[in-house]
Amino acid sequence: MNVIETKKLTKYYGKSRGIIEVDINVEDGEIYGFIGPNGAGKSTTIRVLLSLIYATSGTATIFGKDVVKFGPEIKKEIGYLPGEVFYYDTMRVKDLLNYSASFYKKDCSKRIKELAGIMSLELDKRIDDLSYGNKKKVGIVLGLLHEPKLIILDEPTGGLDPLMQQTFFNLVREENKKGATVFLSSHILSEVQRLCDKVAIIKEGKIVKIEKMSDLAQSNYSKIKVESKAAIPEGYFDMAGVSGLKTENHSTTFMFKGDINSVTKKIAALDLVSLFVEEPDLEDIFLHYYQ
Amino acid sequence: MNIYLRELKARRKSIIFWSIGLFLMDAASMNKFAGFEKSGQATQVFAAFPKGLARAFGLGNVDINTALGWFAMAFMYLLVLVAIHASLLGAGILAEEEQDKTAEFLYAKPISRAKVVTEKLLAALTLIIILNIVTLLSSISMVAAFNKGVSPTQEILLMMAGMFVVQIIFMVIGSAAAAIVRKPKYAGAAASAIMFATFFLSLWLDITEKLPWLKYFTPFKYFDAKIIANHAKFDYAFIVISIGVIIAMLTMTYVSYNARDLKI
Amino acid sequence: MLNMYLHELKQYRRITMIWIVSLVTTAALYMALYPSFAPQLDAMKKILENYPKVLLDALGVGPNVFLSFAGFYSIIMAYMMLAMSIQAMNLGTGIVAKEEHSHTAEFLLAKPVNRTQVLTAKLLAALTILLITNAFFMAAMWAEINFLADILIAGKIFILMTLTLFIVQLFFLGLGFLVSVTAPKIRSVLSISLSTVFVFYVIGVFDSIIGSKAVRYITPFKFFDNQYIINNGSYEPAFLVVEAVFLAAAFTAAYYFYLKRDIRTT
Repeated sequence: MNVIETKKLTKYYGKSRGIIEVDINVEDGEIYGFIGPNGAGKSTTIRVLLSLIYATSGTATIFGKDVVKFGPEIKKEIGYLPGEVFYYDTMRVKDLLNYSASFYKKDCSKRIKELAGIMSLELDKRIDDLSYGNKKKVGIVLGLLHEPKLIILDEPTGGLDPLMQQTFFNLVREENKKGATVFLSSHILSEVQRLCDKVAIIKEGKIVKIEKMSDLAQSNYSKIKVESKAAIPEGYFDMAGVSGLKTENHSTTFMFKGDINSVTKKIAALDLVSLFVEEPDLEDIFLHYYQ
Repeated sequence: MNIYLRELKARRKSIIFWSIGLFLMDAASMNKFAGFEKSGQATQVFAAFPKGLARAFGLGNVDINTALGWFAMAFMYLLVLVAIHASLLGAGILAEEEQDKTAEFLYAKPISRAKVVTEKLLAALTLIIILNIVTLLSSISMVAAFNKGVSPTQEILLMMAGMFVVQIIFMVIGSAAAAIVRKPKYAGAAASAIMFATFFLSLWLDITEKLPWLKYFTPFKYFDAKIIANHAKFDYAFIVISIGVIIAMLTMTYVSYNARDLKI
Repeated sequence: MLNMYLHELKQYRRITMIWIVSLVTTAALYMALYPSFAPQLDAMKKILENYPKVLLDALGVGPNVFLSFAGFYSIIMAYMMLAMSIQAMNLGTGIVAKEEHSHTAEFLLAKPVNRTQVLTAKLLAALTILLITNAFFMAAMWAEINFLADILIAGKIFILMTLTLFIVQLFFLGLGFLVSVTAPKIRSVLSISLSTVFVFYVIGVFDSIIGSKAVRYITPFKFFDNQYIINNGSYEPAFLVVEAVFLAAAFTAAYYFYLKRDIRTT
């Protein structure tokens, strides 16, 4: 079953573009990455899914139900971490957590304690007095405290230190193992790469590519870096399958797709200092789509 | 109920502040009466004024030599104060989630916008009732204090009932404004602009006898304290109008708020 | 500093236009009542002539003053003073507080400017806005007076009376500045300014009815006695002094606190 399904989902703010005909299907149990640069329409999509704003045309369903008509019902099973976190300044952390829990008709007190422990939150502090990173941590606990079936994360790691990011990713993976579906929007490729099963790439409001992470990584591109003793003559690597060529002093990097033997022969003719052949990371592939 | 309770808690300080303010206002205006009563003869001059002029002084049709008459004149100003409170409350309670950017938090919860509006309006209504009761009690005791211990409770009760209706009208005008205006930070300004426009209209109507039908457009004229002080009754036409206005504004609040994109 | 000044003016352009239009419209509507009012005044004159002069003066209703157009105009000025005080107080409180409310204080104060410059730019912008409002208002009133036939008011009296609006606005601008830099956290600029101005207004209303003198020093709504202006063609110096002292104190304190305090971010 598809947990999230959108069909030709379009949103215009007056005349300015939000998203155009976005089609995505997030299957049950997936960790789904939603990636694109700032202003591509990631937050717009999420806000339409949460019916904070309404689509201009097209449809969106969550758990098979229309997001507008059944908004309150489906939100029972959604945990959401917004990109920028703002809360009621004058409340204490624990009051805010309890207030949030009071919207779900179940006892969340145990889970709150557990999560606050993992995130090392100080429950008695006022929201006012928290640093940005700590507010983000509160947001994470808020998003997970009711053990939702669908977790929506909008740029979740901004403001978290690397250690906390790791803790957070572990949490998300654990929830996923327990059966939760995760929808993660980000412009940071490495975190999508680390976490996601499938990824949709959005550019200027339109989905440009949807691929399984494994396919994307295994696309027979290689990233090759060559460092030689003498300068490599210009145009030396001008051949079929080479792209994104960059030369700096005696070192050259490029992407290669095709018969690997043809390029190793060329490299063998050089007097080398070092040679790297790597699987390209998402960043490299990503740059491809944006060129 | 959780939203209702949070709103009440968040507005605790503000309602205490407003209650003290209204009590002081009440006390100060009746205290002035004491000073005024002693000087005595001033009303004789006012009594000789033609209607229009006397009303320009806020003294039409009422004998300010009695504590009740004086209170009826002061009532107008209490009314404006609670109207300010109600307009800003009605607008603020809806607009604040967007203004403080907590809308994303609240509306990701499994709750419909209609339910949020209902709980918030109920919270506002509760605060309005509190303020009304505070004003009622302080008015009854203050008027009694300057009326040799006797308080015309029935008239004051009627005035406060009228005040309550006016409060609700401005509260729902405020909430309708918050539901309609695109930028939440202008909700309070829009609501208070409407409030002051109707206030100035009622001042205008005090001076002139032209265009009397304009009084239907200003809630400040709906429950004229001077008439209540003299006759101890409402003009029932205005009750019907009030109910009409309240229903219209509530409908607008629910429909518009439900239909629009939240400003995040 | 010029850039901050111009930025503020631009920010307030629309709201100032709305204020000017509504003020001029409201005042014009009140003024339009005069022709129907005038006959009543003549009848009144005869009645009032029978009262002792001392009493009439105490009430501020001396026949030659109160029953002239100038007297009528002074009633309008009283209402306009209320509206324009709200504008000034709102402006004074909001122009400083909005930076913290909309999270732009960090932006502004990270720029190579000191806080004195920030506050001065804002103060000058606020003064400019009030001056523009008053210039438009005064011009529109003078045009209307000349448009309605048979109305007589000396130019000097007209200017003196209309100018009281600006002076009272200055008072509330100062108060607004003071409040915005001293209040711990301003949740709603509107509710502070509306309730403050209205309380001052009501204090004035009650005391004009019983004719108390002391209260005139407390509320700016009573700094200017229109009867005095009409009779003497000038303001009462004592109250100009009160206003000047208050403004000096308010702005000195505003600068002092603004330089000293922690700016709240997010």
